[in-house]
Amino acid sequence: MQRYDYLKAIAGNAGDALAVCTGWAAREWWAVRPSDGNLKTRTLGLVSSIAAGLAIALPRRKVIAIDGDGAFLMNLCGLPTIARQNPGNFLHLLFDNEIFEASGGTATASRDCDAVALAKGAGYKDALWLNTPEEFREAFTRAWEKNQLTLLAVKVEPGQPKDLPPLKLDELENKYRFIRYLEATEKQAILSPGFDSKL
Amino acid sequence: MEHRATQAAAAILAGLKKAGIDFVATLPDEKMLELIRAVERDTELKHVPLCREEEGIGICAGAYLAGRKTAIIMQNAGFLNSCNALTTTSLQFQIPILMLIYYAGDIGDRGFTTLGSVTEPVLQAMGFRSTVLRREAEIDDTLRGAQILADDSKRPVAVLLTKSVLGVE
Repeated sequence: MQRYDYLKAIAGNAGDALAVCTGWAAREWWAVRPSDGNLKTRTLGLVSSIAAGLAIALPRRKVIAIDGDGAFLMNLCGLPTIARQNPGNFLHLLFDNEIFEASGGTATASRDCDAVALAKGAGYKDALWLNTPEEFREAFTRAWEKNQLTLLAVKVEPGQPKDLPPLKLDELENKYRFIRYLEATEKQAILSPGFDSKL
Repeated sequence: MEHRATQAAAAILAGLKKAGIDFVATLPDEKMLELIRAVERDTELKHVPLCREEEGIGICAGAYLAGRKTAIIMQNAGFLNSCNALTTTSLQFQIPILMLIYYAGDIGDRGFTTLGSVTEPVLQAMGFRSTVLRREAEIDDTLRGAQILADDSKRPVAVLLTKSVLGVE
């Protein structure tokens, strides 16, 4: 099973959750859950921190981080920070293919390392390994309903389907669409008025 | 002296609030102890204590996207720790953040001259506007001005905090 199979399994249950992605997973997530509530990050490791910042700022909105093992291991110190804030609306998904996939495919340290134990040790309320897309979907829905800080981790085969459409936006368009989407759905002003205003 | 540091911390905290800041990530430096304590005790600001400064750039970026006005309080070593996130998140996505950076190795500060000597050159190399805050009378205007500049330019802006403005030896 590849990451795409797991993402496909939960896309229909993700509602209007905000989703922050890293690496190749972004193209897959956009394909299964197209939305302006999706954000692709550019700093390796920071996907969980950026998603956590959103979750802390918007406690009534579900926020999903779609993390990979390379990024997860790079930002281990972020886990206790997130656990200390304990955002119940934050769902941390980890797709562990044991390689730096977007950086050429060399091995990460994750083969000999238990990400679930790390998350629990850092103070996450719940963390578990899942083995099939169906198990993953059930755990995802359960965690969503429980509304408590959870890591759901799966081991996946590297690779992705060949025919996925490329993302047709850059960071700035992604950011502006994301913010405008939040302004519309949260019914609040976020950006300053702009250059036409008399400040 | 401790009383002076407490007063200075209260003035900086008040300045942050007047500038509209409502979300603050921190990692302590001994010289900023009273400031961090004041942020911890405050009930209006959202406070996120960090384990490493770079994650704070990410957390603040997420909070900004959701409408918060963010600041990070850290030492200049922490600024150096954050340079990749500041480049590939803050600059690349044009996300503002007010950085209050303790200026270790500033003139008159023993023990950190290496750190002090690279701080302003690195800020300049990254294209960040910055100002050194030395006098209590300038706290409000400087913080408000820096926050306006960050928000309007959609970039990080640095305010370097010195021993004199923090009221510490």
